[in-house]
Amino acid sequence: MTKLLQWLLGVSLVLTAWALVSFDLLELSLPPAYREMAWPMPLYLLVSFGCYSLATVGYRVATFNDCVDAAKELQVQIKEAKADLRKKGLKM
Amino acid sequence: MATGLDQAVGMSLVVFSLLLFTYYSVWVIVLPFIDSDHVLHKCFLPREYSVILPGMAVLILLICSGAFIAIVMWKNRRQKKVD
Repeated sequence: MTKLLQWLLGVSLVLTAWALVSFDLLELSLPPAYREMAWPMPLYLLVSFGCYSLATVGYRVATFNDCVDAAKELQVQIKEAKADLRKKGLKM
Repeated sequence: MATGLDQAVGMSLVVFSLLLFTYYSVWVIVLPFIDSDHVLHKCFLPREYSVILPGMAVLILLICSGAFIAIVMWKNRRQKKVD
């Protein structure tokens, strides 16, 4: 089973469950509160995804840091590369 | 390093999104199970607005991003013509 088929299966399962509850297709005689809750679920998922994205961006902004060690490592590598190129006769 | 302003902005974004998430969760998930004459219902708009308001927000977001992309592409094309 490919990844696409897995995703399609999962999405269609969720969609059918949502439609069953929110449109009461099987005449389950659920209390109306359940239908009222289930009906805006797609939008609710969208809103929670947006909140999660916003929180992630905010958290990364708040904890943005300099990579001092990585900068030093990069400088060392640049020096090595320059020395190596000079040894091979490249003028800089 | 993140300055104090960065930290303030980032943390306020986090707090805002958490507040929005809890408010919307209570609105959509908890409220249908509470009697309609409860005090909690006074803190929320009628139910249909829980769909209309986010829908409007999505629409505005789409329009803004579409206009932004259109303007950027239009400017790029004009610059190429000048060159």
